[in-house]
This record gives sequence, C-alpha cells and structure tokens, in this order.
Amino acid sequence: MKANKENTSNTRTRSRVIWVTLAVFLIAPHIISTPLTTEILIFGLFALGFNLLLGYTGILSFGHAAYFGIGCYGCGIAVRDFGFSIWGGLLVSIIMGILLAAVIGAIAIKKKGVYFAMISMAVAQMFYFMALSPLKKWTGGEDGLKFIPKLSLTFPFHVDLQSSFPLYYFVYFVVGISILVIWRILNSPFGRLLQAIRENEERTIASGYNVTMAKFVSLIFSGLFSALAGGLFFVYLGYGPLQTLFWLTSGTILLMTILGGMHTFIGPVVGVAVFLYAQNKLSWTMERWELVVGILFMALILIFPEGIVGTIKVKYLARKTAAQEVGEAE
Amino acid sequence: MAYLETKNLCKYFGGLKAVDQVNFQVKEGQLQSIIGPNGAGKTTLFNLLSGLYIPTQGKIFFQGQDITDKKMNQISQIGVTKTFQITHIFPRLTVFENVRISAQSRKTSFNFWRKADSLEDINDKTMKILERVQLAASHDRVASILSHGEKKYLEIGIALATDPKLLLLDEPTAGMSPAETILATELIRTLRDKLNLTIVLVEHDMSVVMKISDEVLCLNEGRVLACGSPNEISCNEEVQRVYLGGRKEC
Repeated sequence: MKANKENTSNTRTRSRVIWVTLAVFLIAPHIISTPLTTEILIFGLFALGFNLLLGYTGILSFGHAAYFGIGCYGCGIAVRDFGFSIWGGLLVSIIMGILLAAVIGAIAIKKKGVYFAMISMAVAQMFYFMALSPLKKWTGGEDGLKFIPKLSLTFPFHVDLQSSFPLYYFVYFVVGISILVIWRILNSPFGRLLQAIRENEERTIASGYNVTMAKFVSLIFSGLFSALAGGLFFVYLGYGPLQTLFWLTSGTILLMTILGGMHTFIGPVVGVAVFLYAQNKLSWTMERWELVVGILFMALILIFPEGIVGTIKVKYLARKTAAQEVGEAE
Repeated sequence: MAYLETKNLCKYFGGLKAVDQVNFQVKEGQLQSIIGPNGAGKTTLFNLLSGLYIPTQGKIFFQGQDITDKKMNQISQIGVTKTFQITHIFPRLTVFENVRISAQSRKTSFNFWRKADSLEDINDKTMKILERVQLAASHDRVASILSHGEKKYLEIGIALATDPKLLLLDEPTAGMSPAETILATELIRTLRDKLNLTIVLVEHDMSVVMKISDEVLCLNEGRVLACGSPNEISCNEEVQRVYLGGRKEC
C-alpha cells in the first residue's frame, strides 16, 4: 500500500499557503497603509524566525529581542560608521545573528525549558543595558541610532528607500525570499527532526539522533532570520530604536506568534498582522489603547485556543475527516 | 564471542545498588527474557544497555566493541535500539511520520533543502514496517488517538525503523488485552525468526516468556539470581520463591 501523500499530517505545509501569502502581500500595501504593511512584513519575518525555535523545535526563548536589536544596530552602525551598502548592512545583521546564536547556544542549548528561557532573557537584557550606557558612543543610548544618511539602494538598480512603495517592495523581496528559505528548511529532513524533538526529545535521541546539535542549528537559523528582520527594521525606519533590544519586544513577538498559531507555518505572520493592525486602528482612537488590545488578545485566544490559523486548521481538518468517514461508511 | 555481554556491571544511586555485579551474555539471534520482581533492576539494566545511564562500574560489550561510555544516540547508531516501558511515541505526528522520522535517522539529517517526503526509500521502508506491526491502515492518523495496544505496536515499529541488530523491548505487552498479547508475542517471535534480530525482553507475563524465550535471566535486588532455559528457570526453587510463587514439580 502506497503512503497517502495527501495525508492530514500537521507536519507538512502546502506550497499554496506560501504562494497565497506572497500574493496577498504583493497587493496589500495598495489596500491598507503602506508603512503598516511594511511593519507587518518585518515583524512577520521576526515571528517566523522565532517560531522556528518555539513552534517547531519546542524551545522557548524570552530573549529574542537580542537578535532583532543586534540586527538593527548591526546594520545601522555598518551603514552609518563603516559606509556599508544596504546589502552589506543586512549581511552584517545576518552574521551578528548567527554569532549571537552560536554564543547563546554554546552556553545554554543543553538547558531545559525554563532555564533556557531565563538565560536568553538575561542575555537580551544585558545587551539592552550595554546599548543604553557603556556603548552609548556607538549606539546613541536612549536616543537610539541616529544621524543616518538618506538610505538608498544602488545595486542591482537604484531604489529610493525614502519613498514608501519602493521601500515596501524592497522589504517584500527580502522577506519573500526568507519565507521561501524557511519553508524549505522546515519541510526538509532537518525540519522534521526538529518536530520530533518537540514531540518527544528522549525518543528522538533513542532513535539515534544528535539532538543537542540539531537544537543548536535550529537556534542559529532562528537567530539569523530574527536578526535579518532587525536589519530590515533599521532600513524601514532609517533609525535604530533602543526598544528593539527591550524585553517587551521579546514578549510581543511571543504574543503575536501564539495569537496566530505556533504549530502552523504561517500562523505567526497572521498573528503579527492581526496584532499590528488592531494596535494601529485602536491606538489613536482611545486613551487606554493598550488595555483594549490586551482584552482583544485575551478574547481571540479564548475563541482560537490553538491560535487563529491553528484553530481554523484543526476545525477544517476535523470536518474533513468526519466527511471522509461518512463517505467511507456509505 | 557473545553478541551482547556485560562484565561486573554496576549502577549505584547513592546507597542504592540498583544493578550489582551483573554478568550476562546474549548470543546472536537469540531471544533472552529478563524477569524478576519490581525493583529487581530490570529497567535500570536496560537503561545501562541503551546508554541512558552511565554505569558506576563494569563494562558493556556489543559485538566485541566496548560501548560502556557511549551515549544513547551513538548506541542506537551502532545497532542497539530500545523501546520504552511507558510508550514514547510522537503524539502529534501521524503514525506514518512516527516511523518515518525514526527511519530517517540512518541517513544524514542536516539536509535543509530536500523535501523530507521525497526520500522514497525511507517512505517505502516505513510502509513495510507499518505493515509488519499491523498499523498500515492507520498510517495517516495522529498517533495520540491510537489505542494503548496500537501505541505499543507503534513503539516497536519506531524501534525497527532504526535497522537494529539487537532490540531491547521493555515490557512490550504491558497493559495489553489477552488477544493483543498473543498477537504481540507472535510479532516478537517473527522478528527473531524472519528478521534474524537478537532480542532482549523484559517481561512480567510468564506465558509470553515461556513461549518464545531461548534463555531467561532472573534478577533480584540488582543481582543475577539464575540464568537458563525457560524450563530450568521455572523449576528453580529460588526463582519460584522470589518471583514465580507456587511450586512446580520438575
């Protein structure tokens, strides 16, 4: 009996999810505010990177702001102080993300659950305070990374990054390629190994896998894409805010990922979109907008316990299986 | 040369001698059962053999190779795979994926680009194993919804997927109904006879032990009490006193 390739496994993401997402984001900036869509793309990439570690490998990090922030500052300092191009700056973001992940991994990857989360948070806070004071000369401290020259792209053709549409499509290009790469990684033998680790780490070891190495590599990928998102954030703002390193950023990305559905591929992006859109729409209409967003979040989690995409997927699959069984019985 | 051999194997947890000076040997192609009362050290012995625990003293050899200090994943790659007493499956993955990911362990997994589903030889191997453990019909079901007995079969399937030379089965029929136990016993016998696997079994169900074992080892309080054929062991007075109960006239 041949294996049914169209099975209801939650480990496989169909390619059409990717193409639909890319198509939606192709036209989205013409429908809703362009800066908002740009932010959704950037934080969406951050969330995908974060979820590689959380949703797929089962490792919780409370310190992902460190990667985002180091990517932002890394790109900014490379561009402002070393005359790097935008591409060069983003490459610096990626390298910084990889290096930081390697260091944190070397220290903490063998630690269980809570301990890893705490260590990652401690490291992120350390970076925050270093940027705030001792490294103020480089980072601008509380004011953030300022005095950035007007950003533009010159290779392979000129793109004026001061205008919202060219800037958007530049970010779209980088994020789009990243989404495709992350998708390939998660559908590869390595991606399946990560999910096995999440489901039962001891069984995975007993089947002969070097789980410590796999977790380490997962952290590297996660740091890489989170830092790249940080670099894009710098390009989008033309400035490097200190908040990127703050623990609130770590908390927010976790929130948005869970809201969208951490056991799905595209869930985190949906969570980011819903959260940022709600924040945008509610922030100038009310004084206590944070309270409203908080209540909205709680309500959404109650309605969608597996996250928005996760719950929809579970309900859809349940209905599909039930229909199949009825079909078989007839 | 013994296929699997332990020499003065000890595991002490502080003052507790969980495994104490255990010497035993398994020949290739044999099915050896380990019996004994609760707390005798059977599962600790298994955990030593599979690499979960490092021995306090003593040595373990597999095919003449010293595997005493090797880690669990290394020992699995060498050819010794175990099943767990409490089922250790991947609950949210499908039955197919449970076995497939275990089979994938024999190929390099730091491959980030290929589609995992395109590894046809692994897919075929997975289906064959599922047929052998009678779970082929449920291959696309999520593993958590299987019955207890089916999960135990899946556990065996996951172990088979690693191409083991020696299989350590930790209470494979625990919690099974009588009918399931008979089928499981037949399955285990087939693994020895058709696949030429060497099997070491921890079992409480003496009907299973008597039916398929070539050799039986009885442990008590961490030490070897007796070792011999099923008949010899069931007639052994000490074993009867400590574990089997009753008196059998031999």
